[in-house]
Amino acid sequence: MWCYLKNMNIKSYIKETNLCEEIIFKMIFDAYFKVLRNFLIYRFRNNQFADDIAQNAFVKLWENCKILKKEQAKSFLFTTAIRLSLNEIKHQKIVSDFEINFASNSYNTESPHFILEESEFKQRLEKAINNLPDKQREVFLMNRFENQSYKEIATLLNLSVKAVEKRMHQALLSIREITGTV
Amino acid sequence: MENNDTYLSDWLGNKITDDQLKQLISNNDFLAFQKIKNSLENFTVEDASLAENYEVIQSKIQTIKYQKSKIIPLWKFASIAASFLIFIASYFYFTKENTFETTFGQKQNITLLDNSEVIINAKSKLVYSNFFKFNRCLTLSGEAFFKVQKGSNFTVITKQGKVEVLGTKFNVIADENNYFEVMCYEGKVRVTLGKNKVVLTHGESVRFNNNQMENWAEENVEKPLWINFESSFKNAPIQQVFEKIKNQYGVEIDFPKDMKETKFTGTITHKNLETALQSVCIPLHLNYQKTDSGKIIIQNE
Repeated sequence: MWCYLKNMNIKSYIKETNLCEEIIFKMIFDAYFKVLRNFLIYRFRNNQFADDIAQNAFVKLWENCKILKKEQAKSFLFTTAIRLSLNEIKHQKIVSDFEINFASNSYNTESPHFILEESEFKQRLEKAINNLPDKQREVFLMNRFENQSYKEIATLLNLSVKAVEKRMHQALLSIREITGTV
Repeated sequence: MENNDTYLSDWLGNKITDDQLKQLISNNDFLAFQKIKNSLENFTVEDASLAENYEVIQSKIQTIKYQKSKIIPLWKFASIAASFLIFIASYFYFTKENTFETTFGQKQNITLLDNSEVIINAKSKLVYSNFFKFNRCLTLSGEAFFKVQKGSNFTVITKQGKVEVLGTKFNVIADENNYFEVMCYEGKVRVTLGKNKVVLTHGESVRFNNNQMENWAEENVEKPLWINFESSFKNAPIQQVFEKIKNQYGVEIDFPKDMKETKFTGTITHKNLETALQSVCIPLHLNYQKTDSGKIIIQNE
């Protein structure tokens, strides 16, 4: 009896979401790959590593498509990616400094002096971000670069919203200390 | 600054306005924070190519599918092969027979897997399989004395009949001439021969000779005399006595056919043939002669 009920459940899951269909899978990929991959960069500061782990997380998602709902996909991807990367990190030390790109159109019209000043400031900012504790950096950059709300970040990383807010606050303070006054 | 403050994150998250923040911190600080905030808005990390990554993911999925479809049958094959091997191995292990055989004049002490002790007399054979651990059962031809550890049923199967016990000491004779004798020294044994069932207790014996059953009891016996290199007989058929001498000394004995009904009571030694023959022949008024070939011919006086 119990087995029968369980089977019914799984069948209804499939009907509801059909994560296993390639169109849906592609949709989820388009929606979350970039944010997942960038999150991994913020956390581990290694692009290749982030690409690889993010890809593997999607492979895992495909393997488990029958038992997952569409709404669960995002948090499944993040949890899986973190787990995968922790496994990987045991084998190799991957941390390196990551580089931030200026959006190219930001200084077309500015004066050379301003560009110089900006690039100096950019260097200090990079240094400051690199010096942040991992936990502050991942939260801070997810919010600033990926436009994830505090609540979204809290869900993805299994934190309370309060904790995310504290990390944001601390991160901005530390950056300010290193970049110095204007 | 207090640890619990989150006004900066409130400001970044648009929960409080610039003016509200200005009231909390100095103007300098505000400008610095605003510069950081504005600069970060122009920053990105190096973009990943979505199409490329999607292709890599698809190829990774394909590889896994390929590996899986290849690995599973191998696994299955291996497990089938392994269970088959285990089956064969255990079959051979459990049916493997342990045989102990003695020739003329030999005795052998054996400790069984359950710590029961068996002493087998001359010209006897004892067989048991490794399955004995689970089912205490063994086959005997000849004579043996058993000292059985307490436990489950212990069965001795002979050509003639079987003896079942729970934990005792007993002696079994089941020779090639269809003679069957069981003597119980301790505890209880059940003897089955065809439809006949006899339960023996301490000191009781039973013998089946030519389908005739005979019961008798002796007192103060701890173990058979043959263990101390003697055989004792009580009202035993003479044929049985000569059979015993034959087994112990490895000699051929000829005796008149009309003697078959003669019974013998007494003890013979296993150490000296002359003495043994004398102890049989003198009380029964028989003569014995040794031929050159070692055969012994017995005649009436």
